Amino acid sequence: MNPESPTIPLEHPAGPLAGYRVLDFADEKGQLCARILGELGADVIKVEPPRDGDPTRQNGPFFKGESGPDTSLYWWTMNAGKRSVTLQLKLEAGREILRRLIALSDIVIETNTPGDAAPHCIDYASVSAANSSAILVSITNFGQTGPYAKWQATDIVGQAMGGLMHLNGDDEHGPVRVTAPQAYAQVNFQAAVGAMVALYARGVNDGVGQHVDVSMQEAVANAMDNTQQIWDIRRTNASGPGMHRNASGVKGARYLFETADGWLVALQTGGLIGTGANAIIDWLAEAGEARGLDSPEWRARLTSLQPLPPEDVSHVEDTLAAFLRTRKKEALVEEAQRRGAGWAPVFSPCEIVDSKHLAARDYWIRVVHEDLGESFIYPGAPFKLSETPWKQRGRAPHVGEHNIQVYGSLLRLDEAELRRLKLKMVV
Amino acid sequence: MSDALKKVFEGLRVADFAWVGVGPIVSKYLADHGAEVVRIESSTYPEALRRVGPFVDDQPGIDRSGYYANFNSSKLGATVNLKHPRGPELIKRFIATCDVVTESFTPGTMAKFGLDYESLRQLRPDLLMISMPLYGQTGPWASYMGYGHVLQAAAGYNHMTGWPDQPPIGTGVAYTDFLVPHLAATALIAALDYRRRTGKGQYIDFGQMEAAVHGLGTAILDWTANGHEQVRLGNHDMEAAPHNAYKCRDGRWIAIACATEKHWEGLKAALGRPEWCDMDRMRRRWQRINELKEIDRHLGFWFEDFTRLEREPALQTEEGVEGPPVRKFTTEEIVELMQSFGVPCGIVQSPEAMHADPQLAHRGHYWKLQHPVMGLRTYDGPAFRLSKTPTELRKAAPCLGEDNEYVFKEVAGLSEDEFIELLADGAFE
Repeated sequence: MNPESPTIPLEHPAGPLAGYRVLDFADEKGQLCARILGELGADVIKVEPPRDGDPTRQNGPFFKGESGPDTSLYWWTMNAGKRSVTLQLKLEAGREILRRLIALSDIVIETNTPGDAAPHCIDYASVSAANSSAILVSITNFGQTGPYAKWQATDIVGQAMGGLMHLNGDDEHGPVRVTAPQAYAQVNFQAAVGAMVALYARGVNDGVGQHVDVSMQEAVANAMDNTQQIWDIRRTNASGPGMHRNASGVKGARYLFETADGWLVALQTGGLIGTGANAIIDWLAEAGEARGLDSPEWRARLTSLQPLPPEDVSHVEDTLAAFLRTRKKEALVEEAQRRGAGWAPVFSPCEIVDSKHLAARDYWIRVVHEDLGESFIYPGAPFKLSETPWKQRGRAPHVGEHNIQVYGSLLRLDEAELRRLKLKMVV
Repeated sequence: MSDALKKVFEGLRVADFAWVGVGPIVSKYLADHGAEVVRIESSTYPEALRRVGPFVDDQPGIDRSGYYANFNSSKLGATVNLKHPRGPELIKRFIATCDVVTESFTPGTMAKFGLDYESLRQLRPDLLMISMPLYGQTGPWASYMGYGHVLQAAAGYNHMTGWPDQPPIGTGVAYTDFLVPHLAATALIAALDYRRRTGKGQYIDFGQMEAAVHGLGTAILDWTANGHEQVRLGNHDMEAAPHNAYKCRDGRWIAIACATEKHWEGLKAALGRPEWCDMDRMRRRWQRINELKEIDRHLGFWFEDFTRLEREPALQTEEGVEGPPVRKFTTEEIVELMQSFGVPCGIVQSPEAMHADPQLAHRGHYWKLQHPVMGLRTYDGPAFRLSKTPTELRKAAPCLGEDNEYVFKEVAGLSEDEFIELLADGAFE
């Protein structure tokens, strides 16, 4: 092994959660949650089935398109900086080791369908028996109990049953999911909050652990903007507004426009409809492209907050669309912001990585994959803490990469014992 | 047992200058778990969401917005005019008693009133402060304005939402407003726990865009490691097939996903094993992904043929016999059928359906809280249930400045005379 290769994961004694340990048994609903806690300083141990490892190692896309246990970009993204051990929970010998790991852990994260965790002893009764201070975070599709508790779901079902998908799309094509899985993203992030609240609760209550029961459907429900309140108050059902925006549940002004090099978004038809309209009208007029909107009558109408007849709305939209179509989005956004309008460009992943702003903030980090002899750009700190900084802790682990480290140093199993456990397929 | 336990954040006081979506959602977590969170507002420049509907009875009013209310349960409300000569000093008297300060203004705004972290920590050395503007405290876009509707574009969510041959419409909501607060809250509570153990406060520079990028799944690494740019796929998926939403006869849509062979076997059984399912080119997941159009065509027909309206009788025909449409299942019955075969499946639920959802009702997701102006209204609770220190939405959102006497007299220590004098002078506007 290259002696210069970094310790995986890197130590992070300066994080706010340094000193805490997390056991991660999670699938797509909880792996990112565990990673976030690791980057805040916790020692995160991913527990995988022996031999093939975690099933999500088979999730694409793969590095260079070649599938394999260590090439999943999904695995890289969600498990970076964790340690990995293998453990067979179907065997009593495995569950015995599990109990010893739980005894040394603070937070346990699992994502089994309700009822399926008990045989593996990662249900709350078993976890609290092994360690009454442990916090068990159970992340499921719909929650531990209730009529849908055992229902199957993937991301799209979460986005559908959680109410977000109904709000995306347009009349012609129907509802649409966010292609980058948002039910999973939401439930991971919100489970992390639940874990933190329980951790703090333990600190102020003499070390009492508890069960945190997280629902993916509910996590998505929290992303419905004001539409639940719109239903409650106005009995109006919001649905996908396409290139427009909803206002109190009703399709309102256009917000998405094409530019010479892509798209940009600008609420209230770029601000042309509303109290700040004059700033944009002036800009159009300076360019000689106001198409009459700079007349006193139009200015009065556009700033009046009174609803405009449809043909006026079309004229305003067309005027702005024609102006934008011949210009480039980043320069347009810069000028709009200078004039006090909160526009933004539509960025693709490539454009996000190229963003001047994020570069100036020193956002991106390089993660060394010494096993491949390469390093890759990963997203950097989601928050900058002054006293206890966020830290990325290296690439995702290989299957059972830290068995010796964890079982040897942490549980003090000797080499002969480990060999015996390996032969018996326990680790 | 839970009676004996302390509320999680009991005894912590928070001065919440944050507004609109992100910041108030962060402090809502603290308030709903026992912290005393005081929204610091001003009638001279009211919080944006107080001016956005839905309004009760469609009558706009500063204390009538359901939008504002939802994110501000369990909080107190105070007003101060920071442009009044004594405004900053008055609020500093209050902040000196606080553990946490949250804000989401454009960078520099707090400093303008002497309320930046460096100044405030002089009052309270162990103060924890978080700033949460769109783009962070530094960098060329630091002063850029906007809301979650536009940040979702800059952070990649428009690019990733819509149909491949259609514009990048994005979500229909201010999406990042409901994604990044959870990361901010995680960092904030982790830092609170650190403070609890060490006595050390700190400052958190939270840039919403930087957090939002972490929600893009594999899109960033697919670009940086593979040079492959992921795009919006409508309701399809790079990794699964079938994977789509299908329209039922009652106009509602059902989402179905077969991510594993088990799901696919379940779907075949649920459909009654029609011939097309068993064709060779449907055997493996990768093959099915190539056959997405074919699969959608068949499933589209199936949904047309097999779904019925609630009021239509369920027609039965002999299994396996070709014939006219079989109006067999209501939309709900299809979901039950698919789920009984272990197929991930669910209705694309409208806000109305969410309100009536039996699972959400079972979990008590929606809280009903009585507000003096708005009446009994619906509030969202968190996605988690804590078994021993439960969440409690203790009260409806505050009316503008409703707790001024408590905040400035009882906590900040103004005498009755001073308070009245300052009130008359407009310091609490």
